Amino acid sequence: MKDRIITGLISFLFVLLLASLFYNQVLRYFYYSKLSKNNSIRILPIDGPRGKILDRNAQVLVTNRLSFDAAIVYQELGDRERLFRVLGDTLAMTDRDILKALAKAQKKPYAPVTIAEDISKEKAMALEESGCDIPGLRTETRSKRDYIYKNSGAHLFGYLSEITEDELLDMKDYGYRSGDLIGRSGVEKYYNADLRGIDGGTQIEVDNRGKEMRSLGVKEPSSGKDVYLTIDRSIQLACDKLLGDRKGAAIVMDPRNGEILALASHPAFDPNIFVKPDTSQERLGLLRDKVGRPMSDRAISGLYPPGSVFKIVTAAAGLESNRISKNTQFTCMGSFRLGKAKFDCWKKEGHGPQNIVGGLKYSCNVFFYNTGRTVGVDLIENYAKIFGFGKLTGIDLPDEVKGIAPGREWKRVYRKSAWYEGETINYAIGQGYLMVTPIQVLNMMASVANNGMIVHPHVVKRIGDDFVQAQKPKRLDIKDSTIKIIRQGLFEVVNGEHGTGSRALVEGVIAAGKTGTAENPLGKTHAWFSGFAPFDDPKICVVVFLEHGGKGGLEPAGIAGGIFKEAKNRGYL
Amino acid sequence: MFKRSILKDFDKTFILVVLLIFIIGLLTIYSATQARDLPFSESFFVRQVIWMSIAVLFIIIALVVSYYRFIDIAYVIYVLNIFLLIFVLLLGKARLGAQRWFSIGAFAFQPSEFIKLSLILVLSGYVGARKDTMARAGNMIIPIILLGIPFVFVLLQPDLGTALLLIPIFFSILIVGGADMRYIIGMVVAGLSAVPVFWHFLRDYQKQRLLVFIDPNIDPLGAGYTIIQSKIAVGSGGLIGKGWLNGTQNQLNFLPERHTDFIFSVIGEEFGFIGASAVVLLYLVLVKKAFTIANTTSDMYGKCIATGVGVLLAMQVIINIGMTIGLMPVVGIPLPLVSYGGSSLLSTMIAVGLLLNVGMRRSTF
Repeated sequence: MKDRIITGLISFLFVLLLASLFYNQVLRYFYYSKLSKNNSIRILPIDGPRGKILDRNAQVLVTNRLSFDAAIVYQELGDRERLFRVLGDTLAMTDRDILKALAKAQKKPYAPVTIAEDISKEKAMALEESGCDIPGLRTETRSKRDYIYKNSGAHLFGYLSEITEDELLDMKDYGYRSGDLIGRSGVEKYYNADLRGIDGGTQIEVDNRGKEMRSLGVKEPSSGKDVYLTIDRSIQLACDKLLGDRKGAAIVMDPRNGEILALASHPAFDPNIFVKPDTSQERLGLLRDKVGRPMSDRAISGLYPPGSVFKIVTAAAGLESNRISKNTQFTCMGSFRLGKAKFDCWKKEGHGPQNIVGGLKYSCNVFFYNTGRTVGVDLIENYAKIFGFGKLTGIDLPDEVKGIAPGREWKRVYRKSAWYEGETINYAIGQGYLMVTPIQVLNMMASVANNGMIVHPHVVKRIGDDFVQAQKPKRLDIKDSTIKIIRQGLFEVVNGEHGTGSRALVEGVIAAGKTGTAENPLGKTHAWFSGFAPFDDPKICVVVFLEHGGKGGLEPAGIAGGIFKEAKNRGYL
Repeated sequence: MFKRSILKDFDKTFILVVLLIFIIGLLTIYSATQARDLPFSESFFVRQVIWMSIAVLFIIIALVVSYYRFIDIAYVIYVLNIFLLIFVLLLGKARLGAQRWFSIGAFAFQPSEFIKLSLILVLSGYVGARKDTMARAGNMIIPIILLGIPFVFVLLQPDLGTALLLIPIFFSILIVGGADMRYIIGMVVAGLSAVPVFWHFLRDYQKQRLLVFIDPNIDPLGAGYTIIQSKIAVGSGGLIGKGWLNGTQNQLNFLPERHTDFIFSVIGEEFGFIGASAVVLLYLVLVKKAFTIANTTSDMYGKCIATGVGVLLAMQVIINIGMTIGLMPVVGIPLPLVSYGGSSLLSTMIAVGLLLNVGMRRSTF
């Protein structure tokens, strides 16, 4: 009887054993089978190279280069003495560096751990040669982004950095994986989806250490599409050279179709820094530089008062509304009075009697104070918007800002007060609440150059084999006669005797344009010049902006002249 | 050598089942270790065969000599075995580490594997001699001491699994021997209440193993890893298995200790539910036969030995297989006749010999 207890208990345990085997192996087979496959099957990704960025003449601007890394597999290391000697000789690593690298490698003993990133090709060759018989030491190649012209065009191209954890969560479905580089600004960001290569992969069976046992299949990677810009390399380089170490921006566009030929913002940065190893200090330096703000693209994200270049808008508003005509004259005595307030012209002794053409030519403030007062804030606001201020140009670059084209409504909402007439006077000469980007000024100038047709600025011409269909130019609601009068004024600015923009004059090029010198509360005036050439059939439109650059008629007009010269040399004019 | 009357009761089926289990074990050891690329003469397969030939010599001794002779010298064997346990402990201390075995020539010898048998013999001797008075409380004292001394030393080895195995052996022999069930229940209760104290003496890794039994996911890359991988192996074997030499968990090295304690995971993965349950049923045949021998032996000594061996076999199988599917904590008990290892094979074969010894001689008393 007592024996039954023992046999009963043991029989019960055996039945329990069989039952749980049945449960695990038969009922939960699919669950465990899947786990087992996940255990042993891995996908080894093969990078699909990122597409190149080329200029309009298929000159390579941004490409990929092979970079060499030295790596060690800790588990395979044998003779330490030779390892130290070879690493010391070829890579100039000190014993301490090597010990540090070994400690790092020890943490993942079965995987190759990079100990020296991006070493030169020569060093890599030397390492291969003298270290080929050291087990566990190897050189690995990787594809690295290469911005050939370094700082030049930095804002246009943008830069890359590794995808963050948060982004990964959002973008996993699109095939991104940890360690992927994605575009952070410029074309790299805007066209990231096109540039990005599609990673292929080998499906391999691995053991518990992740060591490849056999290959089960390969999916070839496909490289990203090459992106052809509307940029002309030589004009871009010329712009960067002409800007030099000044703060500011220069943009060159074909006014007929909106193709951007050059887009420069200074100070710039070298995008290569973001793909190079051990540059975290430099990166931080770039990101934290609050004075130079090298990472911000002044051409499309910088907001400034336009100053006198805005007089084109005031002129158009006056002419279109018939408040002034071609012959309307205002006399400049050096200042303008509105009640008790006195508004100065930049020329103390005054310009004397001026019509619209002279007003533009000499950039006479008093003429435009009078025009502005006659026209009123609502019409100025209306025409500012017609010329594209206060809204995005829609350029195919990220982080464009729309600025402010103020009006009564705007002031009531954002400043909680009524519009004062004195503000209209300032508005008329491009001061006050008005804030614009260089690309907006350029776009306004292009519509004047293009006889009232406004274009859509863009930097990409072709993606892979597909040409990007440019938006058709749109006719502005402005009469031909108005444009004609303004153009005549702009012609005089550059070509007339004592015109404010005469420094933009280049031999063999008939250009027109407008200067601007914008007061701002932060210091020295901002300097603008925007213009186009040739006058009769404009093919090139430029804007040059210098932050705290003094007078628009000086350096900016000179730089624009330099750009016209380069464009002529390149056969654009 | 044998009298005819003895041979008549020699259980051929039993030996056949033992051989069958051993052969399944050999095939599995081969599959579990083939990735190591050892020369055949040094392979685990060959070494296990060598161990088996040695074990056969021992089983012959265990069969030829009447089990009475073993009962006679049970205390000598027991004391000697305790000394060996202490010797290994001191040796391990001298080497600044845990060590439950020492080597004789090329072979490692693990005294804790044999203490199970020594305890069966010494308890059977004590109980057998007092078959009419076992119900007395006073007769509980010596068995408790006989259990207690090796229990502590085995635990210190450290070999938690073997120490725990001693407990069912102890109780089963006392029950068969006629101890009062009230005392038995009292001891069980006392033992359970001592668990917290016992816990205190466990090493950290042993505690960890017991904790991951409750939830393997608390340490999936450490102590829980083995359980998780083993369950995956067994479960993914399905009904018919992935086939011999084709288990991915096994061949791709996801299973630690797969030729020793976790060999059943390989059986489960490569031979499926059909193979795994067949192995369990084969063991059940052995265990049932052990209890049949115990029941049909009128001699109390033989009854105790057969019961002890039956319980020992059964518990080893239940704990070992149980731990591969997460039913039991990982305590480090080999699967008898299947796991690679000389000491385990030898002690199991001696146990089988003793059992058959009892079976052969049951009608002569």
